[in-house]
Amino acid sequence: MQRTGFLFLAPYAVSFAIFVILPIVVSFVLSFMRFDLTAQSSAGFVGLDNYKEALHDNYFWSAVKATLLFAAMIVPGLLVIGLSMALGINAMARGRAAVRALVFLPGMLNIAVTGILWQWFFNGEFGLFNFALKHFGSQGQPWLSDKAFAMPSIVLMSVWWTVGGTAIILLTALQQIPGMYFEAAALDGASTMRMFRHITLPLLKPVMSFVVVTTSIAGFQMFGQAFMLTRGGPELSTRGVAQYIYETAFNSYRMGYGAAMSWLLFALISVFGIFQIRMMRRPA
Amino acid sequence: MSIFSNLGIRGSILGLAAIVAGIGVTRSCEGGGIVTSKHRVDLTFWNGFTGPDGRRMLEIIRDFNHDHPDIQVSMQRMDWATYYNKLMVSAMDNRGPQLFVVHASTLPRMYRSGFIENSARLYSGTEAIPSADYDPYVLEQVKFKDQFAGVPLDIHPQGMYTNAEMLRATGITQPPSDKASFMRALRALTKKSGSGDATQWAFALTLWRNNFQSLIPQFRGRYLKPNGDADLNNPGNIAALQFLGDLSREKLIPPPENGLGWVGYRQKKVAMVWDGVYMLGDLLRLQGLDYVAAPIPQIGPQPGTMADSHVLCIRKGLSEAQRTGAETFIRYLSKNSIRWAAAGQVPARRSVRETAEFAGMPVQSAFARQIPFMMYPPRTPVLFEVTLEIDQAVEKVIRGNADAKTALDLANVNAQRAIDRDRAEQKIAPSGGQKP
Repeated sequence: MQRTGFLFLAPYAVSFAIFVILPIVVSFVLSFMRFDLTAQSSAGFVGLDNYKEALHDNYFWSAVKATLLFAAMIVPGLLVIGLSMALGINAMARGRAAVRALVFLPGMLNIAVTGILWQWFFNGEFGLFNFALKHFGSQGQPWLSDKAFAMPSIVLMSVWWTVGGTAIILLTALQQIPGMYFEAAALDGASTMRMFRHITLPLLKPVMSFVVVTTSIAGFQMFGQAFMLTRGGPELSTRGVAQYIYETAFNSYRMGYGAAMSWLLFALISVFGIFQIRMMRRPA
Repeated sequence: MSIFSNLGIRGSILGLAAIVAGIGVTRSCEGGGIVTSKHRVDLTFWNGFTGPDGRRMLEIIRDFNHDHPDIQVSMQRMDWATYYNKLMVSAMDNRGPQLFVVHASTLPRMYRSGFIENSARLYSGTEAIPSADYDPYVLEQVKFKDQFAGVPLDIHPQGMYTNAEMLRATGITQPPSDKASFMRALRALTKKSGSGDATQWAFALTLWRNNFQSLIPQFRGRYLKPNGDADLNNPGNIAALQFLGDLSREKLIPPPENGLGWVGYRQKKVAMVWDGVYMLGDLLRLQGLDYVAAPIPQIGPQPGTMADSHVLCIRKGLSEAQRTGAETFIRYLSKNSIRWAAAGQVPARRSVRETAEFAGMPVQSAFARQIPFMMYPPRTPVLFEVTLEIDQAVEKVIRGNADAKTALDLANVNAQRAIDRDRAEQKIAPSGGQKP
């Protein structure tokens, strides 16, 4: 019986080993190597040189800055909007299932489709947003071509794209809260706001913690959104670490340096992840 | 459960082995080209011709296959960025296509990877493609010491597209050809509404970097010194970039955040743009746009523009039959490059450009007039890094965030750093020769 169990596990285990474990090991080894695809004869171990180079690389730090900015905007954005949507859907007496499905729909699109769609929304000349602004007598805005607007625009698209998933997770958690707590609080004369603060929020905390950590990880890995909308511009202000790693590895073909930056990104995500989990576990 | 029981462990292993063997067979087919019969060779041809040019290439290939039943070429096209990644990874593992296209500017990097066959054979023998039929500057782009990395199929210079109707409406009968006429046209063709907003622009930048690079030869600028060091901040480059910066500062072009450019030109909101000859394919699909092509006006002390070439290459490690088949295909394409020119390209071969048929292609022949003055992008294996620096410098100046000298000084420092790093890693001396 045990052997049969292993056999059922085997296909996934094999693919996991080949496509997840092996690349992790290879990238770790590569990060200590000079490995330029265009000049493999020069490949060799260079110790910590790639890591040292990254720490002195202005482009790496500007990419870190863009990544942090994106994460700092998207995480609270998703949490607040996702929670608001979940509360709204939870309060609905009818049509909840239909709205839940609709909310989740944008997340079904892949990033290429989403990016092209929003490129048109943001287009300065013919875009939906500037059309609406001009219709109401306001000036159009340079959504993607001005440093001040570009990152918030990317965040806006990302929220639209992913908030459905966050809302559904929070809605499920909301529905797990026993109704008797609210009934008891109502009998004691608690206001809706007090019930939200003292019942809903504390009981949602574990799930919110999960949402914060997972959206942070996704935020730190931001790539497709900026790549589709701005290609990292204007003036590299929206080029995140993941895009810089991609360009280093697949445009400059410097696999070793790209791998080292990947591990630095992993370290950054780990530090933030651990910090967030600890913060969320602290008693109120 | 029952499936596993019925097959048994040995059966499962045999099944897996069959799958692995199947993968192996597929792999060997991908790797070596398929010799499907004793005499027929099947070749794969990869490129990035995803636009109307790709359809033209497919037509040429169909005719080649018809004329050469013993050699069958199948084409796969994908966008250039994806294409280069896939080509690099697959070709280095001897799994790539037998035939492929590489931009002349990308050749130094690709050729160093070691998967491109020396094409010298194509330039010699009874069926030789005559090397004298190419402009020496173009042929130089595919030469690496005494080896040829491929055969240039075309030249795609940047040039000027004008909206003849808009020009005529302001009394301009000829596209501007020098700085004075260009500046006059800029002022005459830009129209503003009562509120001061432009309703029509005389000129808009398209790909900013290319527009800048088109001016570099005009101001006697360059990218690299003869020893291969970066020279992005030379006086010529600074003057060229300053010109574009001035246009932006004086509001003679749409604001950087506007995003007009080629789209604005297509929509008759912009009267003149500088772009590649390959954009003709897009114009051919448009109805009602009265366009006239011309060389880029001489803004600097001499004429000039930026250009590049699609180079036909053969992968190393092919069998003699495959290599001969690939060479036959390249000769055919080169010889019939007038058909390729119709898709919006300038043939690399002089003899083809001298035909009446080419003279009858107004856009292509107007752009071809710039060939004696054109300049290709920097010939360096760290092209991506150098190009990124040029991009950054141009963007800063157009947006008014830096003057041309400051922007190019910084770009030069960063580009030199990339060049130095590459030299150190590859143990290459500044002269370009290998260190002893």
